[in-house]
Amino acid sequence: MSPAQIRFLTLWRREVSRFMKIKKQTLGAPLLETFLYISVFGAALGSRVGDLHGIEYVVFVIPGLIMMTWSINAFTNNSSSILQQKFQGAIQDQLSSPASPMELLLAFSLGGFMRGLIVATLAFVAASLLVDLPVDHILVLLPSLFLVGFFFSQLGVLIGVRAEQFDDVSFVQTFVLQPLIFLGGVFYSAALLPQPFETLTHFNPIYYMINLVRYGFVGYTEVSIPLSLLALVAATGVLFAVNLRLFASGYKLRA
Amino acid sequence: MSDQPSSDGGAAKALHITDLVKRYPAGVEALRGVSLDIGEGEFFGLLGPNGAGKSTLIHCTTGLAQPTSGAIEVFGHDAIDNYGAARQAVGLAPQELNIDWFLTVEETLDYHAGYFGMPGKERRERTRELLETFSLTEKRDERTRNLSGGMKRRLILARALMHRPRLLILDEPTAGVDIELRLELWHYVKRINEEGTTILLTTHYLEEAEQLCSKIAFINNGEIVAQGSSGELANRYGVPNLEDAYLALVGRKELSRSHVEAEVLP
Repeated sequence: MSPAQIRFLTLWRREVSRFMKIKKQTLGAPLLETFLYISVFGAALGSRVGDLHGIEYVVFVIPGLIMMTWSINAFTNNSSSILQQKFQGAIQDQLSSPASPMELLLAFSLGGFMRGLIVATLAFVAASLLVDLPVDHILVLLPSLFLVGFFFSQLGVLIGVRAEQFDDVSFVQTFVLQPLIFLGGVFYSAALLPQPFETLTHFNPIYYMINLVRYGFVGYTEVSIPLSLLALVAATGVLFAVNLRLFASGYKLRA
Repeated sequence: MSDQPSSDGGAAKALHITDLVKRYPAGVEALRGVSLDIGEGEFFGLLGPNGAGKSTLIHCTTGLAQPTSGAIEVFGHDAIDNYGAARQAVGLAPQELNIDWFLTVEETLDYHAGYFGMPGKERRERTRELLETFSLTEKRDERTRNLSGGMKRRLILARALMHRPRLLILDEPTAGVDIELRLELWHYVKRINEEGTTILLTTHYLEEAEQLCSKIAFINNGEIVAQGSSGELANRYGVPNLEDAYLALVGRKELSRSHVEAEVLP
């Protein structure tokens, strides 16, 4: 292995080991949360809601829950890890190493990506044991989930770098991301909303992500899949470019 | 600049700083055109009052701060833009105890060496060696937040040495440590200096600089105002020792021990 490969793998290993050390909190809690959502909204309420667009309600909800858990975990992990290391000053150890901005950014990004991937996979396995969950379009599902994971990993890095206190991170998660995710149609179909809420939902970027993942699982969508994928690729690319620029300039990382 | 060392035909320089300026966004000019040379194998002391620019100079050298202008070379390698080889050659033991609370002692050393590209087998051997040297072997599995202040200080020095740097930067390494540990650290850094490691030390303990450093520079208000051996600096300020030279530098001659004693016992 070359020194650059060792360097990158160590940076990445550190990020993964951080959340593995506290896995009750970082893996167990989100998994339980997803399981509770499936139980309450799927099993308990689902029987009264009936089918949505010909799909059993619990099956309609699960794709959005899987997308939600991957995105929130990717975001939370990266924003917390970076802010925590900035707070302790421990990030100086990585910043004073020969690692390039690209290596640092990718390693920080992939930490949260991995955590989201693990929780989402466990949630998928658990859901598959409880209900008959189809995977209709795997070639749309996998790229969509990976892009959503990478997008929120980047967002976590951006907020972690910008944040100066823990409140800055929780503000974005509580007052921006969670409302957007909940109002993006995880638990319902926007097509059934009265106006102007149906139209307003189309301005929520997360609505398109949920539709992509839902289409991948159950084959139902309310938006154009190719256009949504294209927009997600573009948004992720822009966010990555912004972060790379921040790491190269040392914004809020180097004095 | 390339990763290849530049050749100026002169003696090898461990650190070569030219016209270094660092202006913080708030407008504070922490370094005002500092030029400094540290020869390979030297034990170099950088002294100055708080806020003089010592840590800023170190941070610019190690990539923790970005210079406004000027050049820094470490063993002939650019340390600002194409910094890979320069960073590889530097080990930093910072003033702050900047260790990750969630890592164990052993992980702290292992990860650091990994950041510098050291292969696994070598990392494990080097970790064992430095844990032993700094009496940390029994604490290897302990989370760093549970260590005493002295243990953390040892760990920071061990971490700086993990990747076998040719230039070791010690930013106030003995601040707040007991006499026993201070002497232990002195013996160790003296030994590695004799083995060829160049050392840049900042300290507020003048006797430390006098005993360890072959060359000393005074920095004040972001400028190097004098440099030489301890004796040369004393001569330059027309005083008997380094402490009085330092007091002359900061404009507090009235605090000189000889001055105070003369007043108390006329």
